[in-house]
Amino acid sequence: MDLATQLPQLLGIAWLLPLASFVLILFFGPKMGPHGRNAAWVATAAIVTSLVLSLVAFVSWLGAHPVTAVHHGGDHGAAHASDHAAAGHSDAGDHGEASGHGGAAASHNDQGVHAPVAYSGDWYTLYEGGRLKLSIGWYVDSLTILMFVLVTFIATCIHVYASGYMHDELHDVTDHEVTLADGHHLHRAGRFPRFFQALSLFCFSMMGILIAGNLAMVFIFWELVGICSWFLIGFYYERKSASTAANKAFIVNRVGDFGMLIGLMALWGALGTLHFADAKVVGADGQTATVPGLFSLVRPAESGHALRVPDGMVKFAAADKVARTPVAEVAGKIEAWRAEGLGDWLLFIAGVGIFCGCVGKSAQFPLSVWLPDAMEGPTPVSALVHSATMVAAGVYLVGRFFPVLSPDVLLVIAYTGAITLFIAATIALVANDIKRVLAYSTVSQLGYMMLALGVGGWVAGLFHLVTHAFFKSLLFLCSGSVIHACHTNDMRKMGGLAKVMPYTAGTMLVGCLAIIGAGIPFVIGLSGYYSKDSILAQALSFSQANPQHAILFYAVAGGAFLTAFYMFRLWFMTFAGKARDHHVHEHAHESPQVMVMPLLVLAVLAVVAGWTLPGGFGIANLLEQSRPAGTVETTTGGFAFGQTLTIPAEYLSHGEPFHATATWTAFATALGGVLLAAAMYVWRVISPAAVAMIFRPVYTLLANRWYFDELYHALFVVPAHGLAATASGIDQGLIDPFLNGLAWVTRLVAGVDSWIDRTLVDGLVNATAAATWSAGTRLKVLQTGSLRQYVAFIAIGTVALFVIASLFFRASLAG
Amino acid sequence: MSPADTIAQPALWPLSLIVFLPALVAAVMALPVIPKAREELIRWITLATTIAVFVLSLWMAWPTLFGAVGPAQFTVGEAGMQAVVKRPWIPAFNIDYLLGVDGISMPLVVLTTFLSVLACGASWPITKHVKAYHVLFLLLETGMLGVFVSLDFFLFYVFWEVMLLPMYFLIGIWGGPRREYAAIKFFLYTLFGSVLMLLAILMLYFTSDLRSLSPEQLVASHVVSPALDAAGQADAVAVIRSAKGPIHTFNLLALAQLGQLPNSPFAAVNLWGMSLETWAFLLLLIGFVIKVPVVPVHTWLPDAHVEAPTPISMILAGVLLKLGGYGILRICYPICPGAGLSLAWLVCGLGVVSMVYGAFAALAQKDFKRMVAYSSVSHMGYVMLGLGVWSATAGNEFRWDAWAQGVNGAMFQMLAHGISSAGMFFMVGVLYDRVHHRNLEECGGIFNRMPVYSGLAVALFFAGLGLPGLCGFIGEVLVTLSSWNYSRVLAVISAFTVILTAAYILWAIQRVYLGGEYKGPHGDHLTPITGRELAIATPLVFLAILFGVAPQLIFNYVTPSVNRQVETLADWTRDIGGKPPQPVAGGPVPAEVTGVR
Repeated sequence: MDLATQLPQLLGIAWLLPLASFVLILFFGPKMGPHGRNAAWVATAAIVTSLVLSLVAFVSWLGAHPVTAVHHGGDHGAAHASDHAAAGHSDAGDHGEASGHGGAAASHNDQGVHAPVAYSGDWYTLYEGGRLKLSIGWYVDSLTILMFVLVTFIATCIHVYASGYMHDELHDVTDHEVTLADGHHLHRAGRFPRFFQALSLFCFSMMGILIAGNLAMVFIFWELVGICSWFLIGFYYERKSASTAANKAFIVNRVGDFGMLIGLMALWGALGTLHFADAKVVGADGQTATVPGLFSLVRPAESGHALRVPDGMVKFAAADKVARTPVAEVAGKIEAWRAEGLGDWLLFIAGVGIFCGCVGKSAQFPLSVWLPDAMEGPTPVSALVHSATMVAAGVYLVGRFFPVLSPDVLLVIAYTGAITLFIAATIALVANDIKRVLAYSTVSQLGYMMLALGVGGWVAGLFHLVTHAFFKSLLFLCSGSVIHACHTNDMRKMGGLAKVMPYTAGTMLVGCLAIIGAGIPFVIGLSGYYSKDSILAQALSFSQANPQHAILFYAVAGGAFLTAFYMFRLWFMTFAGKARDHHVHEHAHESPQVMVMPLLVLAVLAVVAGWTLPGGFGIANLLEQSRPAGTVETTTGGFAFGQTLTIPAEYLSHGEPFHATATWTAFATALGGVLLAAAMYVWRVISPAAVAMIFRPVYTLLANRWYFDELYHALFVVPAHGLAATASGIDQGLIDPFLNGLAWVTRLVAGVDSWIDRTLVDGLVNATAAATWSAGTRLKVLQTGSLRQYVAFIAIGTVALFVIASLFFRASLAG
Repeated sequence: MSPADTIAQPALWPLSLIVFLPALVAAVMALPVIPKAREELIRWITLATTIAVFVLSLWMAWPTLFGAVGPAQFTVGEAGMQAVVKRPWIPAFNIDYLLGVDGISMPLVVLTTFLSVLACGASWPITKHVKAYHVLFLLLETGMLGVFVSLDFFLFYVFWEVMLLPMYFLIGIWGGPRREYAAIKFFLYTLFGSVLMLLAILMLYFTSDLRSLSPEQLVASHVVSPALDAAGQADAVAVIRSAKGPIHTFNLLALAQLGQLPNSPFAAVNLWGMSLETWAFLLLLIGFVIKVPVVPVHTWLPDAHVEAPTPISMILAGVLLKLGGYGILRICYPICPGAGLSLAWLVCGLGVVSMVYGAFAALAQKDFKRMVAYSSVSHMGYVMLGLGVWSATAGNEFRWDAWAQGVNGAMFQMLAHGISSAGMFFMVGVLYDRVHHRNLEECGGIFNRMPVYSGLAVALFFAGLGLPGLCGFIGEVLVTLSSWNYSRVLAVISAFTVILTAAYILWAIQRVYLGGEYKGPHGDHLTPITGRELAIATPLVFLAILFGVAPQLIFNYVTPSVNRQVETLADWTRDIGGKPPQPVAGGPVPAEVTGVR
């Protein structure tokens, strides 16, 4: 079986298995063993099978497209047009194979710049009318497969972990956070199967985003992931805080989706397609035609995959001119209109719009407020949904959609990432809830990825996405283990736990080292060392190419320092020193094996995920295979901000002078952050309280999370309720009184009328009064008579209406 | 008189039965044959009738389900009118008993018969004047079905009015505390609309002249039966074309052909500064948008819903609101395309205003049922927007597909809303039957008390929220995407509505279903969902999922007919050069028109 058929089948089944598990648990969950205990097995079996299928797909991919070291034309820095073929350079035979299968794949062109290998096609159609088609399909490249493996792998770890963590739900639960009206705590039945049911649905939705062959499908699963997260955050739905956090997460995400819809409209309205790749369609005449997808519309092969505004957008923007131009001449004028800049804004709006969706999902500024609250969900949820998968979807989509993003959009993305990473890191400095520190850390790291993508580091950003998924889910699971042992999230009550929870402490230390990018410079390091360095290097490279945006590099470097500080503050406060709360400490214990095992596995991966094996096998090189066409070399462009932007080629950042500077910067900032944390929380040479006192206003600002919640409440929630009350008030205070007044006037007029009738007519026509009276009485019977008479009259009248009319017809026919 | 009388019309009995069976049963029940006291029997008879009508409509709409395909049945994928029944009815005014279905009306007919079955099941708790209730209920069904299948404008109007009266009584007698106010409000609003509609009907009738149509057009519009042989057709055409005076018509298909003529008689007449076409469009539009309803003529809806008994709310939201959208699609646009083109902004604007306004108003409600009622206003706004996005302009070379997408989306939204809103109202009713209040602030904790009910209810509310995988999503996303090509501003506002929708629905779910404990009165009455209730809710949830996952099931019916109409109108737009025809100043005005008071 060839790859083009095999991959969608494998991944398709891997995608649908969790759905099957969801349906099974939905209907039979409570009957699966005592208290539904076996639901965990059903869900885990489904996700493990998905993992196996993803791995098979991965191996098949590697068989056809072996990962090798990427050559950058020998000497770095020199721009070579011919030799920088990054990906898809395996063998030409494959391209024919892939494109022969209804799905399109690579196409060569004269300049030697290859489009990456990808397989795509449609499973079925949701709507089709004219040239417009919305469908469910696939787009599979090395990024898709890598993400499948990543998501199913982490999900497997978390399923195993959760089957231990959620064991409380196997019995009746007393929820101490819910106090009922009678003063007692809520006592409820356990919901063990329900948890795994939601987890399965989530995995299905998440993989739907990954495999999606078009943006409409992305949007569908985007929303589904949102609602799954609503279920999972609101798992303890008896708690007001949990259900509010769930609503907040969904609604804030919808704000992002609002922007995403605008992006979709801009693309759909002008281009009439949302497919990523080209599609082969068989027309009514039996001829096969290629319908270009978004990627080749924006980066056509004939222009060497250089970004340009597609014809459809030019025509859309030039609608006035099109209307005045004879149909035959339109095609000839498009080039001139494009040169005038028509359609530039449309492409910009499309890119920023789609990015808005990513801002919501990946909790970027200004929509980051939902993620910390989302920690109301059980900890496995935080690990899966809010660190490794769902929030990563935004970064994934930016990566997937990258070919369509113009330099201006990339700049917006870079700055959004920079602001996010800085703000979130500063909040994490002062947070005391262990999960919230990790939540803000996640937001900050996602900002890193966005920034990396924005400055042109396509591989750097997605590489960090992968490594971060490992170490952050590890960190979350460790925090879950701590919370499980201490029954509190407050780090101020912890301390000295390393002795009682050695495995948790050790693995969490690995996670912390990985996230700060620890390593021996130029020799070896943990996974974060590689991905973070490449981000720094690319940011530096971008800053040099665009000196006016040098701040982006400082944001990354400063962020690295903050990260190191708050992560080690967390570790020291939790595990080092002496116990601060003996009550908590006495009850603390190492978690059961079923929870520790996933920690160990993830710890190993947090160490090795960034490594490149001899021969070139490694995640970065694997990603290189799918690098969007046209982004290998340095590109320039931009109109929206009145300046030309240079997006430096990524391979430049691997060379000097960027690589060394970046590595040393990373090392120095990380070391500085760790030392400062140690000084404050281990050696206690600096008192945290004193620092807080000195920087009182800053501390207050950070402790209150920059007042975003309060600001949004005042800016959006209150006005929304105000508008709602206004709309409702207009109905009740304006429209209805007007109508009622109208009715009153009508009655008044009728009353006057009837008074005239009574006084004048009655007085004049006294003689006929008796007759009128009797007729009136008869009519009155009809009006106030029993309901049955009424109804019978209407029913028979209706039928009679038709009968009489028909008779009338017969009569007229006879006449 | 007419040779059409002698032609075999295989759909005559099936289609007539679908429409009139409920009325016949109602008439028989109204006679003192069945004692009033035999309430259970009356309920079962009514249920049996609605089921029979549903099966009959399904037999028509989905022939393959029943094996062999007969000539009276519907061919899926065909665009034109099918199962046309034509009998002269009032020949003096050229009024025909003209029925037919196409891809637009067929799904709506099935939706009506299906919801009637469920609403009948939901009527079981009604104990007041059981017989009268069911008689009116059946009459209502006849009225609704008649509107959907009528192809004669006069017949359409008769059915429109037939529907009005039962509804008035059903709200006014079986409703809540303020039922009389709500009923009279509903009645006056709708009556006002119908009067304007009647005016428009007469205007169009007296301006129409069948002699302007070509023989092909006469056949296509069933004025001359296509079933006749060539000679018969030629004879019939000759009779029409050789007539001395104008031949007026109520035939909707013929009126549409006339309206789309390059020299449309409706566009040529100047009436107080506007073309007659514009007047007719506006009058009809007012009549239809009151039914939809759109802001600002929507205030009858919340009151009617809050006061109406649960099954009537289901019918009201599920079917009655669709009559407005159907009327605009079937009548306004094809017959008055020029006015439709120049007033597209009005239709779209009303739609978008309703979407946003309805959503905001829903956010403010404290009454559960009122909240759902306002959500209907918001959701039906999508229908208006989708119908109106006339994006075939010179600027995009008169492409029709974006507009067709909007209209298809609007049709889908109507059907999806029929399912989700009927379901939501039923779910509110289930709760109300138990605790006898609908105050959102005095609920909570229902999920733990009634898990199965809550699960189904949340699924239906999610369908209303427009969640992918459920029926509400497809229509909304198609309409929203299509609106961009018509107006960027309206498109952005309509996209904004997704935030508000999420807010009011999730907030309501949180207040009613989530939480630790029930905070209102009658908490001990929160018994699990009954078998009867389950039998009503489950099909709705099932269909909400089915249509969300496989929208093609609906589009297979809808798209061919919608696309043909839209394509025709887009071509018409191109032929007139993209500018609606202007009435000729001082042009000829038929004496009949000026005579109309």
